[in-house]
Amino acid sequence: MHPAAWIVWATCAGLVAFTTTDPFYLGLVVAVSWFVYAAQRVPGPTERSFRVFAIAGLVTMAVRTALVFLGTVDAGSVAFAALEGARLATLLIVFGTFNAVTDPFGVVRLAPRRFHEPALAAALALSIAPRTISMVGQVREAQRLRGMHPSAWRALPTLAVPVLETGMEEAVTLAESMDSRGHGRGRRTRYRPDRWTLGAIVVVVASLIAAGVFLAAAFTGSPALHPSTFPLAWPEADPRLLATIGLFLVPAFLPRPSVDEEGSVR
Amino acid sequence: MSPLRFDAVSFSYPDADRPALHDASVSIDEGTFALAVGATGAGKSTFLRAANGLVPHFTGGRFSGRVVVDGRDTLEHAPRALADAVAYVPQDAAASFVLDRVEDELAYGMENLGVDSVHMRRRVEEMLDLLDIEPLRRRSVRSLSGGEQQRVAIAAALAAGPRILVLDEPTSQLDPQGAEHVVAALQRLVHDQGMTVLLAEHRLERVAGFVDLALGFERGTVVPGEPAEVIRRLAMGPPVARLGRLVGWDPVPLTVREARRLGGRLAPFELPGAILDGAHTAATPGETLVRIAGLEARHGESTALRGIDLEVRRGEVVAVMGRNGAGKTTLLRSIVGVHEPTRGSIAVDGHAPTPGVDVALCPQEPEVVLFAETVADEVRATRRARDLPDDPDPVLHALGIADLATLHPRDVSAGQRLLVATAAIAAAEAPVLLLDEPTRGLDPSSKDRLARFLRSHASGGGAAMVATHDVELAAAVATRVVILAGGEVIADGDPGVVLGDSTVFAPQMTRAFGAGWLTPEQVAGALA
Repeated sequence: MHPAAWIVWATCAGLVAFTTTDPFYLGLVVAVSWFVYAAQRVPGPTERSFRVFAIAGLVTMAVRTALVFLGTVDAGSVAFAALEGARLATLLIVFGTFNAVTDPFGVVRLAPRRFHEPALAAALALSIAPRTISMVGQVREAQRLRGMHPSAWRALPTLAVPVLETGMEEAVTLAESMDSRGHGRGRRTRYRPDRWTLGAIVVVVASLIAAGVFLAAAFTGSPALHPSTFPLAWPEADPRLLATIGLFLVPAFLPRPSVDEEGSVR
Repeated sequence: MSPLRFDAVSFSYPDADRPALHDASVSIDEGTFALAVGATGAGKSTFLRAANGLVPHFTGGRFSGRVVVDGRDTLEHAPRALADAVAYVPQDAAASFVLDRVEDELAYGMENLGVDSVHMRRRVEEMLDLLDIEPLRRRSVRSLSGGEQQRVAIAAALAAGPRILVLDEPTSQLDPQGAEHVVAALQRLVHDQGMTVLLAEHRLERVAGFVDLALGFERGTVVPGEPAEVIRRLAMGPPVARLGRLVGWDPVPLTVREARRLGGRLAPFELPGAILDGAHTAATPGETLVRIAGLEARHGESTALRGIDLEVRRGEVVAVMGRNGAGKTTLLRSIVGVHEPTRGSIAVDGHAPTPGVDVALCPQEPEVVLFAETVADEVRATRRARDLPDDPDPVLHALGIADLATLHPRDVSAGQRLLVATAAIAAAEAPVLLLDEPTRGLDPSSKDRLARFLRSHASGGGAAMVATHDVELAAAVATRVVILAGGEVIADGDPGVVLGDSTVFAPQMTRAFGAGWLTPEQVAGALA
């Protein structure tokens, strides 16, 4: 699918999560996001990023909730903080899906020329998380191979030093390689621009409708979006809004990036 | 006008106490195939990186003199401004990839140069054919084997259409066939398109016969000359040159053909079980140490090993060879116990192995091992973790790197890093020592040290297994050679027999003088 369609999908799904703290809507966005991830993920290191962002989401939610315990604690404020945290977690998970189904550098190439540099920096930053994770795995393993057990806290340097130094060396090699290959010379052409397909257009339309419905509900101050925490009440869900979230499932039904015997992505 | 000229170039890295390059003056003509030769740390990589301005633009340091590329001074032009004239492929090709898909990676340089899309399409197809990587075009660069990555990196550098191509050890990760393919492609570029190619390579047997010019590096100085002359003077070189020096031929031969002509016909070797030079009789194989039965393993989605049965005895140094992707790494990782087999059993000394205790493995990227402040501390850390006396000297001496003891493990050259990592791993004193592709950046003298170390480990009652593409290393050190293909053992036996029977894995002495002849020392003895 055209990377721009993914950008629209992720932005709209993120907007929906942003407008609500209702656990039913948020939960459904997470479920839909996971389903799309499972159906469309691109094999390779970015595949892991879904897991990374899901874990980051849970940690964020836990931290946001824990912060309540610094002040007055009652059921309502705990619930309020937990729902706020759930909203952030949902945003991160949507972003994780986006990351796992697109090639960050493919997205960079859509950026207009003047935004190319910042977009590239962002893409590099995004590619660091999965790389660091695989490097931690490699280093832990290498230390085990010499009979060391880098699990204790005091063994942290045995993990951190090789990960950071190797990461640093790789970053320098990449920067050198980009410069050596003419990055930043100003003039730029495109090899095989991505094509818009009917499926991608349907995804864009569906995503825009869903985001539009939720934004309209937010502007009209619909009580269905934010369950009451003062007094604490059982959240309700509007079946029409739930159905709207289902529109984000469209990309899951598009032809999957299949992988042939040798691992070529088609 | 020569496309690449160095005028009295001297350069010191920041905080270095001696210059990396000293008064280097070299001019390389159009259509020359030039080779940088020299011990590890002699200044080859610095010289190569100065050719497109990475030195000093990316390094800082003190630079004097001039490097002129295609009429442009590198001090006035950043590497990106020279990208249309000179392309550079670093040693670690994998870290140089910018995009994800092979095809896009090939087009990246052209996109930056503003090449129009019609021309770009055609050029990408040509590069896919030239380096024989068409089947990989839609693959993610991260999913490729080391050898495939190397070829993609070269294709990506070439695609931009430079006049000069600079490569740092382009064949260090390739199997013999892959290396031949790359060298042949480079030669075709030089001959047919007048391209100027400058490369650094330690495995001279792969390139020495093809180059027109050699640049001899010694402690930062560079002297250009006839390849045979430079190689003789530096006492480096392919096994045929080593033989030439031992026997006293001048000029030394650089190719198998020249050596055969000079050496004449040798008596056919009695195989197997012939007594070879000392290297191969270091220890009489003893009791079985590693027993592998019916081993099957998967790597990602594909089957990597299909029913391996193998026994390794004390006193053996086993070279495990085979194409890129044949299953060598998976086999070693299974033996050490970090790769879960799907079927079959592995026993070391009669029980399931504990990593680091019964078996130790030095991985393909030695960098991931190193964390300490000094080389000596690196070894001490292993010894302490195993509750052994923490004196680092014996293993450092055994590997001939005692002089590096106080240095930071990352401040030494690529070849030395590998020896340091090997020391850190071997210090665990596991009876079975595994090395995965100990090749990158290893110069001949480091290779000799490693070979001696492996032999003494084996003769001391241990066993070693080395997964390698380096046929000359296998010829020099192995007491047994195992060849894998498609995850199965297709040959297993005496090196003279196995290597002698192969067209791909035959070392130079076998090619020149027939099966059984493996090392220059052995042949020199017979010629004397």
